[in-house]
Amino acid sequence: MSDYLDRFGRDQSICHRWPPLMKLSVAMGLILAATCTPITHGPLMGLITCAVFFVHSLARIPLAFVARRLLLFWPPLFLMALSLPLSQGGRAGWLMSATIVCRGTLSFTTALWLVNVMPFDQLLATLRRLRLPNVLLAILALMYRFLFVLWDELDRMRTARQVRLFRKPSLWEQWRQGAQMLGRLLIRALDRAERVHGAMMARGWQGDTRWLEQRQEDQR
Amino acid sequence: MTAASAVRVDRLSFRYAGSSLTLNDISFSIAPGEIVGLVGPSGAGKSTLLQHLNGLLPTRLSDSATNTWIEDIPVARVSLFEVRRRVGFLFQDPDDQLFCPTVFDDVAFGPLNLNLSDDEVRRRVHESLSAVGLSGYESRSTMRLSLGERKRVCLAGVFACQPSILALDEPFSSLDPRARRTLIAILKKFPGSQIVATHDLDVVVELCHRVLLLDGGQLRASGLTNDILGNAALMERHGLEVPLRLQSR
Repeated sequence: MSDYLDRFGRDQSICHRWPPLMKLSVAMGLILAATCTPITHGPLMGLITCAVFFVHSLARIPLAFVARRLLLFWPPLFLMALSLPLSQGGRAGWLMSATIVCRGTLSFTTALWLVNVMPFDQLLATLRRLRLPNVLLAILALMYRFLFVLWDELDRMRTARQVRLFRKPSLWEQWRQGAQMLGRLLIRALDRAERVHGAMMARGWQGDTRWLEQRQEDQR
Repeated sequence: MTAASAVRVDRLSFRYAGSSLTLNDISFSIAPGEIVGLVGPSGAGKSTLLQHLNGLLPTRLSDSATNTWIEDIPVARVSLFEVRRRVGFLFQDPDDQLFCPTVFDDVAFGPLNLNLSDDEVRRRVHESLSAVGLSGYESRSTMRLSLGERKRVCLAGVFACQPSILALDEPFSSLDPRARRTLIAILKKFPGSQIVATHDLDVVVELCHRVLLLDGGQLRASGLTNDILGNAALMERHGLEVPLRLQSR
C-alpha cells in the first residue's frame, strides 16, 4: 500500500534523471498553466493536457495506473464541482463547474507525475533548499507518512468486515457500514495523532521542527 | 555527582478523565544501570506508568509538586526538557514513533531538538544506526521497512539522544524470533538503566535484574526476577503464567 501513489518513484526513465529542481519547475509550470488558462481557450487547454500526458509517457508511467488513481480523485472533485450549479438551481455555474473539473484533473495528474519521478524525500529536500517554511515541510512529511498508515488501517477494517459478511449487503448497508468505518477511522486517526505528538515530545520537540540535509556520504 | 537512583516514584496516583484510578499509590526506585521488568495483565497501567517517567501526561503536571524523579530531577513542567533528555522512550507501535520520511531524518530528529551541531547530529545518526545493526539504511524510507527494522530504527532514534535511562513499552511485541533476539542483544549492551514493560516473561527472565508486578493500577509485588516470576500462586492470582524458562527448572 505504501507505494500506491508513487509506485514508479525509483524507476530510471529520462524524467527520473532530470535534476530535482527541473522536475519541480516542470510540475509547477504545468499546474500554473492549467490553473491560469481559462477553460474557454480550448486549444491552449488541449496543449497543456497533451504536455501533461507527454511527460507521463516520458516517465513511462502506464495510463491505467493514472486512470485508476483518477477514479479515486474524481468523486470528491465532481461533488465539489456540482455543488456550484446545484446551489443555483442548475441555472448557472456550469462553466465554473467544468473549470474546477478540468483544472483539478490536470493539477492532480501533474502532481501524480511529480511524485512518480521524484521520491518524496527528494521532493522534501528540494523544497527545503527552496526555503519552504519548516512548518509546511513538517505538515507535508507527516501527511505523506500517515496517509498510508491510515489507509492500511482502513484496509484492515474493511478486511475484518468482509470476513464476517455472509451475504451480499444492500447498497444502503454498504453506505452505512462505509460511513461507520470512516467515523471509526477518524477516531483512530485522532488517537494516533495524540500518540505521535507524544513520541515527538519524548524526543525533545518543542514546536519547531529542524531538518538536516543528508549528504552523499550519509547515504552509504 | 552520580544520582542515588535513576528513577524514583513516590506514592504516584493517576486517573484519566472520566475513568477509575489507573495508577494507585505506586512507589519504587531503580538504581543506575539496573534493568527492571514491568509486568502485569493488560490494562494494569504499565504504559501509563511509563509515560509518567517521561512527563508525557502534561495536563497533569504541576510546576513543582511531583511524585516522580529522574536522576533526582523532579518530573515537572519546568524540567521536562531535562527529563526527556535523560529518558529515552520506545513506543509500542513503531508507526507512532517513525514520523519522518527517511531513516536519517527520523534518527536525526532527537539530536536536532537537542540543538547539537550538524556534524554532531550526523555522527550520532551513524553511531546509533550502527549500534542497532542498520548502517547503510540512512536514505531508506521509513515506510518500507519490516516491523523488526522499524523497531530498531525507533531504538536508534532513542539512542541518538544518548539517554541514561530507557523506558520501553512492549518492545518485543509482534517480533519474529530472530528480530527478538537481535533486540535483546542490543538492549543488553546498553549501559544505562532500563524499565521494560512487556508480556514476554521469558525475555524478562533473560534481561531483567528485578521485576515490578502491576495489576489494577497497584504495585502488587516487587523483587528479584526469578522470585517473582517463579511464584506460581502469585502469577496465577494476577492473570499471568510462570515463564517456560522457569517452569523447566
